[in-house]
Amino acid sequence: MENTIKVERAILNLTQGDLAEKIGVSRQTINSIEANRYVPSTVLALKLSKVFGKPVNDFFKLSEGD
Amino acid sequence: MNAKKIIKCERSKIEKWSQFQLNNHWKIKGIIFCFIIFVATIVLKFNEVNTEWVRFGFRKALLVGLLVIALSKEKTEDEMIVSLRAKSFRLAFILAVLYALIQPIVDVLVFNLLGKPISSSSFSYFQVLSFMLIIQIMFFEVLKRNR
Repeated sequence: MENTIKVERAILNLTQGDLAEKIGVSRQTINSIEANRYVPSTVLALKLSKVFGKPVNDFFKLSEGD
Repeated sequence: MNAKKIIKCERSKIEKWSQFQLNNHWKIKGIIFCFIIFVATIVLKFNEVNTEWVRFGFRKALLVGLLVIALSKEKTEDEMIVSLRAKSFRLAFILAVLYALIQPIVDVLVFNLLGKPISSSSFSYFQVLSFMLIIQIMFFEVLKRNR
């Protein structure tokens, strides 16, 4: 799974800490998601979608191995 | 009560029990408690008070302290922390079973190689449980630090 959360975050001018606070997780969790070390749950993905104002498919993409 | 109700009841009860955790402030209390027990064990080791029942009580207390640490929530208990905790419990469980299987063999090998007699209390529930809890806490902290 690949994602463009870092880009979406930059568009909204949000820090990792700001985004983490908005969706109720820790800053390290946002960092891990951005680095593709952790795949978030559907609930978290939908929370991100709400913050970015875009469908989940716009910033999460399946990679070759998935 | 029909089968569906029983299944629903079982599922909800298991879900409820599996989510049991202590508040974050219990973690520091558990650490202090374990430290006190550890120091007291060392002190009593060199005193005449070191009786069987004191040792028994201290072992139980140490296990309770370790369990409190293992069950305490983090300050931000998000889904990633839950996932890391599950990983650490899985690893600790597997390693504890392996430890329980291998340790008696090591005892026999030591006996055969060194001729050192195997003490009846050399392998106990305390060893396995404390090993499992320590491994869980250790793995969880390592996973958390490297997330």
